[in-house]
Amino acid sequence: MNLFTRYFRINLLATVIVFMLASLAFYFLLRYVSIGQVDDDLKIEKREIESYVAKYHRPPEPIVVHDQNISYGISEIHRPFRSFKTIPSPNPDEKENFREISFTLQVEGKWLLFKVAKSLEETESLNRSIIIISLTTIVAILIVSLLINRWLLRRLWKPFYLTLDGLEKYRLGEKISPTFETNSIHEFNLLNQTINRFIRDAEKEFFILKEFTENASHELQTPLAIVQSTLDVLIQDESLSESQSRSLQNAYMAIQKMTKLNQSLLLLNKIENKQFAEIKAFDFKTLVVEKMTNWQELWQGRDLHISASLHSAMISMNEQLADIMLNNLFSNAARHCVEGGDIHLALSSNMFEISNTARSGSLDTEKLFKRFSKMDQSTDQHGLGLSIIKQITEVSNMQVTYAYLNGKHIFSIQF
Amino acid sequence: MYLFEYLAWEAEYTFDCLQKNDTILEQICSWKYRFPSEFKCTFAVSFGKYLFMKVLIIEDEKALSESIATYLNSEQYICEVAENFQTASAKIGQYEYACIILDINLPDGSGLDILKELKTHKKTDGVLIISARNSLDDRLNGLNSGADDYLTKPFHLSELAARVAAIIRRKSFDGNNSLLFEELEFDLLTKTVHIKHHLLELTRKEYDLLLYFVINKNKVINKSAIAEHLWGDNMDMADSYDFIYTHIKNLRKKLIQAGAKDYVHSVYGMGYKFSKR
Repeated sequence: MNLFTRYFRINLLATVIVFMLASLAFYFLLRYVSIGQVDDDLKIEKREIESYVAKYHRPPEPIVVHDQNISYGISEIHRPFRSFKTIPSPNPDEKENFREISFTLQVEGKWLLFKVAKSLEETESLNRSIIIISLTTIVAILIVSLLINRWLLRRLWKPFYLTLDGLEKYRLGEKISPTFETNSIHEFNLLNQTINRFIRDAEKEFFILKEFTENASHELQTPLAIVQSTLDVLIQDESLSESQSRSLQNAYMAIQKMTKLNQSLLLLNKIENKQFAEIKAFDFKTLVVEKMTNWQELWQGRDLHISASLHSAMISMNEQLADIMLNNLFSNAARHCVEGGDIHLALSSNMFEISNTARSGSLDTEKLFKRFSKMDQSTDQHGLGLSIIKQITEVSNMQVTYAYLNGKHIFSIQF
Repeated sequence: MYLFEYLAWEAEYTFDCLQKNDTILEQICSWKYRFPSEFKCTFAVSFGKYLFMKVLIIEDEKALSESIATYLNSEQYICEVAENFQTASAKIGQYEYACIILDINLPDGSGLDILKELKTHKKTDGVLIISARNSLDDRLNGLNSGADDYLTKPFHLSELAARVAAIIRRKSFDGNNSLLFEELEFDLLTKTVHIKHHLLELTRKEYDLLLYFVINKNKVINKSAIAEHLWGDNMDMADSYDFIYTHIKNLRKKLIQAGAKDYVHSVYGMGYKFSKR
């Protein structure tokens, strides 16, 4: 529910309730007043009858006119008495109510009960007109106020929506900060200023972090480069003995591993820092097919059987990350597959699945995606591969799940 | 003054080269660029029939520049080293180089400014950036500023040599794209190899591998360097280099069947060496 709908819902409900209550009160007040007036008329009738009786010592002739009935009979109440009530019309064809006064009078020693009824037709029709007029006014007022409010709110909140729009398009680290126009409303200006300040701070922090990552990279990569190149020069020495060569090779492999580890850590940091912000829509199938060709030789070397059922799947993500993710998934599958086992790839429009014949049982799903958690204790792997996959799926709004089924490790990526 | 300095420099290096032992000169000789007869260049130093490419290494880490120089000097290169921005700037102002190996992070300036200076001096020296930064931005920045290639630290020296060779080839020898090693004749444009005028049937990977070997001839190349050169460093397969063995076995078989000598030698568990003996 957006701001306007919410506002209008509350506003409309409150206005309608208030107007309803007011109309009801108005109606009853009007009715009370107009009936009081009819009652006053009836009292005058009563006085006329009383003066007639006092003068002539007999009740007047009952007269029936269109909107007034006078009748009398023997009363059972032998004392002065007066009451008003509203009665339906004596003529069943008419809908209007009548207002009737009943009172007792002693005529020639006898108690007579007089009833004078007056039609309420006029007052009721007046009431009706008043109610109709007021209801029409209410509806008109509601509609007009809705329209005015709508227009006014749109106008008033326009800067807010512009700000919101700018923020929605904004991505941290993309170097393009949203620009907010200044406007005449203090609160919105304040909001924009505050947001600008936050963005500036965030950008600053972001670049400090990026710089730190890069500096850390530089500090580590350079010594690694020195060791690596020194070893490269050293292995050229033809007078090396076999055991010296072996030692050198061990050192070489260790440096390789350290390099890979450092690169993976930096990669993780970079993904976390959202440094792969550029997103593109592309067919995932093309990439999978390309990767499969690249990996063909490596798979063949290990005598793995590859099968695939691939359908087109348009996805939006960073291409570099997609590439890294697939490489990691493929190398995982190849590494943890039994010699001569199967690797199966499946791609549908919303899911990519890769499964391989497992060497042993299910992996520990708790620790699986944690950093440095090694599933088999082979020292060659640094245990960051799955964390990288996890991190990539997180920044790309995807989900990675692991399942163990029929002796196979299955990794699924849901787009 | 300029001419005098240059001649002095050349004389000094010629003397240095004379000190190098004969086998190295022989190796250098076998790498033969065919120059048009009128070709005169200042980024190479000729010594009799031998030709040395001048390479400038701009790198503040002395240990690293030393290794690079040692590795490249034993080929057809003569390396100079500049340890800071100022020296580098002075050198590129005075001399020309076939290739400049440039570190972006220098103690007194940015390597990118060296690129700008080259541009303002209208120099066409090839530039290979070596940087510890592996972010795409830096790569693009460097290449957009006029660098020819970008290599992230740490790297294999064999890979560096291959990149330097490729840059020099692209920059200096337009129209002449052949490379010789004994009876092997590379056509770098069509990516083919002839042995005694017969075409050698190679897969793309085998061609790349053979070229990599020839560029790094007489050098021990580590298995992982070969793997990274052929498959890129994204393919994490640190635990198995067996597939390289298969490729090398196939390549060797093809070479021998085509009548070439067996130049591929395995060096203990370390890697391979491509050489005449």
